Parts: sequence; structure tokens; C-alpha cells
Amino acid sequence: MSRRASGLRAWFLQRATAIYLMLFILYLLQHLIFNPPDGFAAWQGWVAQPLVGLGLLLFFASLMLHAWVGFRDVLIDYVHPTAIRVSILTLFGFALIGCALWVMQTIFLATVA
Amino acid sequence: MKFSVYRYNPETDSEPYMQTFEIEHRQGMMLRDALLAIQEQDESFTFRHSCGEGVCGSDGVNVNGSNKLACITSLTELKDPVEVRPFPGRPVIRDLVVDMSQFYAQYEQVDPWLQRKEPLPEQEILQTPEERDQLDGLYECIMCGCCSTACPSFWWNPDKFLGPQALLSACRFLADSRDQAGEERLDKLEGPYKLFRCHTIMNCVEACPRGLNPTKAIGHIKAIMLKEAI
Ligand code: SF4
Ligand code: SF4
Ligand code: FES
Repeated sequence: MSRRASGLRAWFLQRATAIYLMLFILYLLQHLIFNPPDGFAAWQGWVAQPLVGLGLLLFFASLMLHAWVGFRDVLIDYVHPTAIRVSILTLFGFALIGCALWVMQTIFLATVA
Repeated sequence: MKFSVYRYNPETDSEPYMQTFEIEHRQGMMLRDALLAIQEQDESFTFRHSCGEGVCGSDGVNVNGSNKLACITSLTELKDPVEVRPFPGRPVIRDLVVDMSQFYAQYEQVDPWLQRKEPLPEQEILQTPEERDQLDGLYECIMCGCCSTACPSFWWNPDKFLGPQALLSACRFLADSRDQAGEERLDKLEGPYKLFRCHTIMNCVEACPRGLNPTKAIGHIKAIMLKEAI
């Protein structure tokens, strides 16, 4: 991220992802309330729908971007020594990438099954 | 009325301590009058004040946990016993007197003066009444520092975050139809620190004795930035 983008862009990303997260959670809630999938096959079938799969991928991408900006904010506020901050941020980044790959794998497996 | 005031003289005290005073609460008394009465009892007690009517901005103190101007804070609105401390997060020079240099340095960073690129006209630069209205709620700041020293983001990063007062001033010049350095002003606020450390906690709004709203001004700057960016 360039210096210029690290303020406004991070802030904007956080707001934009928050909106998507909220909308998707609303959709998720209504789905779980009105036609809760019973059993593994139903879950899998649901995730295998292209729109749901895409929505889920976007949801987790947003969640991770949102978490990244938020976590970085917390570190900038409270953790001042650069070395410690960079280490924690790097660890967190790897953890997020790990989660992202896992989510992708899960959705992919559900789609091809 | 009982007062517990913060005392610290770096030349003689190894540590700050609280000292208790008993003041007779006369009608119409302001906190500044009480501090003056304390000073009569102990003339080594030190605090800043000047105008006595809420316009010079020199007697900001922390009273029962909130930042206020002593001269316009009536004793009737305070809970007995009253605890008076210097502004939080600032180096104490003596008793209630704190070092505000960082606060002024932040103000300086936003270039708080009108900048023109076109040559200046012979006469004053005219504004329509509507253009003038844009400055309301921004120009009235008396730089008392009640807001910035109540802001958690300012406590964590006073050297990098500009704080509500300076950002309110930045907004004041961004909103001025006569100013022509908007681009440069926005550029100077970029990066994760100067502006974007504000997390809309709104302590500043609650603290401002002039009823100004730095949070709104900060939101306004973000909106202008966004508009310029897309
Ligand atoms: S709204 Fe922003 S500037 Fe005001 S107190 Fe909160 S963090 Fe500080
Ligand atoms: S915005 Fe209000 S609290 Fe802050 S310095 Fe100005 S007058 Fe004081
Ligand atoms: S003495 Fe001037 S603002 Fe209180």
C-alpha cells in the first residue's frame, strides 16, 4: 500500500466491507431462520449454488480485509515498537491468508462434490 | 465545599499528590473563583487563567474527570467533593499548569492561515453569506485544548495524530471559499496517522466548552478526501 493510500483507502475499505458484511449476515440469518438446511448434504447443496458460493467467498474476503484494517488500527494505537508491531502484523497476515485458503478449499470442495 | 487538587512542584516534590481544601461556596461562584480562593489559602498553588469569561482558553482543567474551562464552570454543577487535576496526558510544569507545546505544534502543522494562489486583490476577498455560513461551528475555536487532551487517540499518538483541535482548524480552512490550497491541505493529512487515528470516540465533542463538534469536522474532511479520490 502506498503511503497516500494507507489512510483513506484503509478507512474506505473498512466502511465498504462493513456494509457488505452486514447485508450478507442479514441474508444468512433469514436463510437459517426460514429454510435451515438439515444435514450435511443440504449444507453442501446450498454452498454449491454458484451465487451462494460467490457470496460466501466475497463475505470471507470482506471479513479478512475488515479484520486486517481493524487489527492494524489496534496495533498502530497500542503497539509502538516497530519490530514488535511488524512481527505481530506479519503473523496475523499469515493467519488470515491461511484462513482464506481454507475457506476457498471448503467452498471449492462443496462445489465439485 | 471540599476540593481535592493536584499538587506537583518538580523542583521540590518527588511525586505529585492531592491536597484538600475547604472553600465557602458563595452564590454565583465559578470554579475559577474557587481556585483563586484556594490560592489565597496557599499562595504557592499555581494555575493559568486570564479573561474569566471563557474566551481566552487558558484555564482548561480536568474537573471530576472531564475537561472544562474553570471560569465558566459553575460550582453548582459540580459534585462535592470536587477533584481538580491538570489536563490528562500532558507533561505537568507545576500543579495545574501543563506543557501544551505538542498541541500548538499540531495546530501549526495544518497551516492555519488563508492561502491564495491568485494575486491578492486590492480590496478584501468577498464571500457570499452562504459561503460565510460554511465557517460557522469551525472558526469559534479558542484553542483551550479541552478536546485534544480528552481524546484517547491523542493520548496514544500525540506526536503523529493531529488531534481534534488541529483537525477542526484544518476543516475551517478547507471550508473557506477564499482559500486555494485545499489540495495541499488534503495531501498533508494523508497516511494512517494525522487524520485517520480518529476512531469517532467523540470525547472531543463532549469536552468542547464552545459546543463545537470536531468529530463532525473530521468526518467532513474524510468526505472531501473521498470525493477528491474518486
Ligand atoms: S472523535 Fe476523534 S478526535 Fe474526537 S475524541 Fe474521538 S478520536 Fe479524538
Ligand atoms: S475545539 Fe473546542 S475544546 Fe477544542 S480547542 Fe477549540 S474550543 Fe477548545
Ligand atoms: S480565563 Fe479565559 S477562558 Fe477561562
